[in-house]
Amino acid sequence: MTPVLCIENLQIASAGQVLVDNINLRVEAGRPLTLLGASGSGKSLVMQAVMGTLPAGLDVRGHIGLDGQNLLALSPQQRRALWGRKLALLPQEPWLALDPTMPVQGQVSEVHRLIHRRSKHEAQRLTQQQLDEVGLQQAGQQYPFQLSGGMCQRAAIAITHAADCPVLLADEPTKGLDSALRDSVAARLRHEVNTGRLLFTISHDLDLARRLGGHVGVMRNGRLLEQGDAAQLLQAPQHPYSRRLLAAQPSRWPQRQSREKGDLVLQARGLGKQYGSRTLFEKLDIRLHRGQITAISGPSGCGKTTLGNVLLGLTPPDQGQVQRSAGIAPIRFQKLYQEPPAAFAPRQRLGRAFADLARLHRIPDRAIAALLQRLQLDEALLARRPGEVSGGELQRLALARVLLLQPVLLFADEASSRLDPLSQQQVMQLLLELADERGLAVLLVTHDAALAARTADQTLVLGAPRVRCGDCSTRETDRASA
Amino acid sequence: MNALTRTPLRATCARQPNAVFSARYWGGGLLLALALFALLGAWLIEADPNRQNLMASLAPPGGDYLLGADHYGRDLLARLAHGARLSFGLAVLTLLSAAVPGTLLGILAAWRGGITERLLVTLADAVMALPGLLLVLLLIAFSPGHYVPLVLGLSLSLWVEFFRVSRARTATLLIQPHLEAARLLGFGIGYRLRRMVLPEVAAQLPTLCSFALATAVIGISTLSAISVGLRPPTPELGSMIVELLPYYAEAPWLVLLPSLLIVLLVLALQLIGGRINT
Amino acid sequence: MMSRLVTARLLQALVAALLIATLCFAMMQTLPGDAAMRIAASRYGPDAMSQQLAEAVRLELGLERPLLTQYAASLMQLARLDLGYSLVSGAPVIEELKVQLGHSLWLALLALALSLLFGPTLGLLAGIRPGGWVDRLSLGLSILLRALPPFVLGLLLIMVFSLWLGWLPPAGFGSWRHLLLPALTLALGLAALSSRVTRDAMAEVAAAPYFAYGRQKGLDGLALAGRHGARNAAIPVVAYLGLQSVYLIEGVVVVESLFAFPGIGHALVHAIIARDVPMVQGTVLIMGLLFIFINLLVDTLCRRLDPRLNAWQEVRR
Repeated sequence: MTPVLCIENLQIASAGQVLVDNINLRVEAGRPLTLLGASGSGKSLVMQAVMGTLPAGLDVRGHIGLDGQNLLALSPQQRRALWGRKLALLPQEPWLALDPTMPVQGQVSEVHRLIHRRSKHEAQRLTQQQLDEVGLQQAGQQYPFQLSGGMCQRAAIAITHAADCPVLLADEPTKGLDSALRDSVAARLRHEVNTGRLLFTISHDLDLARRLGGHVGVMRNGRLLEQGDAAQLLQAPQHPYSRRLLAAQPSRWPQRQSREKGDLVLQARGLGKQYGSRTLFEKLDIRLHRGQITAISGPSGCGKTTLGNVLLGLTPPDQGQVQRSAGIAPIRFQKLYQEPPAAFAPRQRLGRAFADLARLHRIPDRAIAALLQRLQLDEALLARRPGEVSGGELQRLALARVLLLQPVLLFADEASSRLDPLSQQQVMQLLLELADERGLAVLLVTHDAALAARTADQTLVLGAPRVRCGDCSTRETDRASA
Repeated sequence: MNALTRTPLRATCARQPNAVFSARYWGGGLLLALALFALLGAWLIEADPNRQNLMASLAPPGGDYLLGADHYGRDLLARLAHGARLSFGLAVLTLLSAAVPGTLLGILAAWRGGITERLLVTLADAVMALPGLLLVLLLIAFSPGHYVPLVLGLSLSLWVEFFRVSRARTATLLIQPHLEAARLLGFGIGYRLRRMVLPEVAAQLPTLCSFALATAVIGISTLSAISVGLRPPTPELGSMIVELLPYYAEAPWLVLLPSLLIVLLVLALQLIGGRINT
Repeated sequence: MMSRLVTARLLQALVAALLIATLCFAMMQTLPGDAAMRIAASRYGPDAMSQQLAEAVRLELGLERPLLTQYAASLMQLARLDLGYSLVSGAPVIEELKVQLGHSLWLALLALALSLLFGPTLGLLAGIRPGGWVDRLSLGLSILLRALPPFVLGLLLIMVFSLWLGWLPPAGFGSWRHLLLPALTLALGLAALSSRVTRDAMAEVAAAPYFAYGRQKGLDGLALAGRHGARNAAIPVVAYLGLQSVYLIEGVVVVESLFAFPGIGHALVHAIIARDVPMVQGTVLIMGLLFIFINLLVDTLCRRLDPRLNAWQEVRR
């Protein structure tokens, strides 16, 4: 009998309120299942129901079948007995899930020793083998804090190999990882499928779902909107929500039309910056013009944000100089931040922040009202504090705040990367429209190559930082090359 | 975890902040009652706390002496009220002379950085090199039995906590994007300090203040009890307790009532501080 | 890494010694009367004291020199670990301290041992079921004990165990029975704090993602607690011992005075009342150094337990 994991008529309720309803899904060998949805869609609850880790007090109905057993009919003890033997979990953000005070080796070998009851020698041999498989042969003695996010992810995969379970549950495997690493995560999970494991993944990452293939379901508000073959569904989704979700992917955005270069706003010559012994960038020449979108992209830690801050004058460069064009007031150089809540004083009502700004710069009230309307923001939001407004709204409020000062240069530092795909699209669309309307020079720092390619007039790709000064670590690319 | 799974958990966790809140509420009520006793008691009770009446030595509660009289026949209620007033007064004096400079210097150190910060941090480290009580004892040794070195020593050891917390809070605030944003938006130093730094630092103060007050109350009464703080006949609660201990067998309330007063005062302050869990 | 730790603590000890020496030198200058006469009286007894002896002392100690020179000389003297002579008994300070320090160390060690017996045990029991009756009971006890200043707690224990039950002597020195009440006073105060720290550490570990992951790996019960619980929960408890050393040393001073226990804290309080400055300097210095030494031990232990502390400089993420 080929193993199958099937979920039938799953319903999860809390105190009479139905959180997840009518879920029917199936994982077969060679055909992984990926459940897509934004946070709050209920996909995590489905995975927890399979694993048996739902919080106490939830009412679960339906049937989850594995090996002819209904998992939901088992006692909590019986379900725990399956962990590490039938069901293995690849935890989200593995750098938090690994024990911070134990070397990686111990965390792998304990599975052999304590769950599979193997001899010490055997456990050692298998542990080394499994660390080799994921390319961590040198890292066995290291602690999780000494490893990068991707290495922690691989250590967690080695642990699932040690468990050697027929079913692998992957919880948001690309969350918090660089986009460059996402491909390799997908490849590793694909490898698990090829070795015959049943793979069930939950994610909000459409690219991951496409790469994993197999079967895909889309969830929203506790309902399964649609499911089907990955290639087919992600090519031509039926449900309007899936369609919007797909269209919100930067790679599906329409290509922005190039504008005429306006006046020169700022130019930098021979910029260089070191961080400790690492060279982030050197010998860099950049010119920013009004009406132009300039993207800086590259892996995390490469110094993108630092370069932006140097150009904006927030951080001094180690070499070279930044020269602003004459006659532009300093407050017309502005910045948007990655975490919208961090850009506002947490105890101050938003209305207060805007009123203080308006008083300082003698901005009339109707200018604020008009701008809020243009950014599709309700004025009632101003009565709230930053923590009480959604990320997308808050980022648009931040955009409104800087636009009130008639900026010539706007540095958007990963300004949409923490937002859900739909909000990201909305914020970026508005930002670009207004940049065009007002002839803004925009400096876009992003790790998302597709986003840079769809929007920017010129893109600067920073490589991984060099420890020693070698050849120039940056290269300028034309948008055409993307 | 997503928002849905958090909902059922939140209901069970909700008790925690409520417990802290109601602890603060009780602590506040208790402190108010004790403060009223200290302020009004010393004024309403006409008896002189230092008037001796050897005929009434160790008089039991009731009668002329509501809470009895001590070995010199002094009215215990009057002595308690004056003792409470003294404890409050000295503790508040200590608090003010520790909290105001401590907080302001902490903000200054983080804001200015450089040599200012290094000097202040060195000073704080020097104070921290000794347990607080030893420093207080060193200062008291200049002039045992007086309240000036007592208050000075306590505030000298207590300002460090205010300094450290407000410096750390300010330092983390200064690298927050919203302060950088405010600078880019054209807001001056005054606005950023007043509207963005001060409210965040002030949010830490209630806990720190009640902790410092409790430390001061304990410190003053303890030092008096080991006869290096304030000395009899000053109606100080700690020295009263030790002075009256020999009469424990005949009149236990003489020892227990001032002890209870100290305990209630410290308890009230700790409840307000909200540090009941750790 | 280790040497950096020791250097930092040595520096702290130096700062503390300088602070103490400076304050004590200043204190010496504020004492009423002539310093040479006072010292001569303490050395040779008030009866044998004469103007000639005082002059001899003045010359010997250089008391006629300018203040700054005298200050430098007193620092040099301290640097040679010479603590001088008591102004009261005339004996070398170091001799008196040797005996008293021994007594105090016994008291402190017994108190620490008792507190480790009560505190973490109660904390463990409370942390197993947060919100359960053990937890609430221990919270109540801890709040109550923390509201009791050590001298009040000591007095209450005297009342109950000596005056009321008559089991233990109320004060004095001589047998282990004299050690028990002061040690218990300190231990209860220490345990009031450490029980809650242990309980919170337990609860935090139990809620940590790595603990949940350990369980989902298939580990169970003792294996899970032993592999991923104990060490992680021990880190804050041990780190907290550093803070508790403040309570311990302050408590020793108070409790010894209260129980008339002839230790170093008792000696300090007596020296203050008698204005015996060399004794004040010696006692505070020894207790200060002890405090710093305890903290060095705690730091070392923390580094043993938590690999992140060792490498925080090498790896920045």
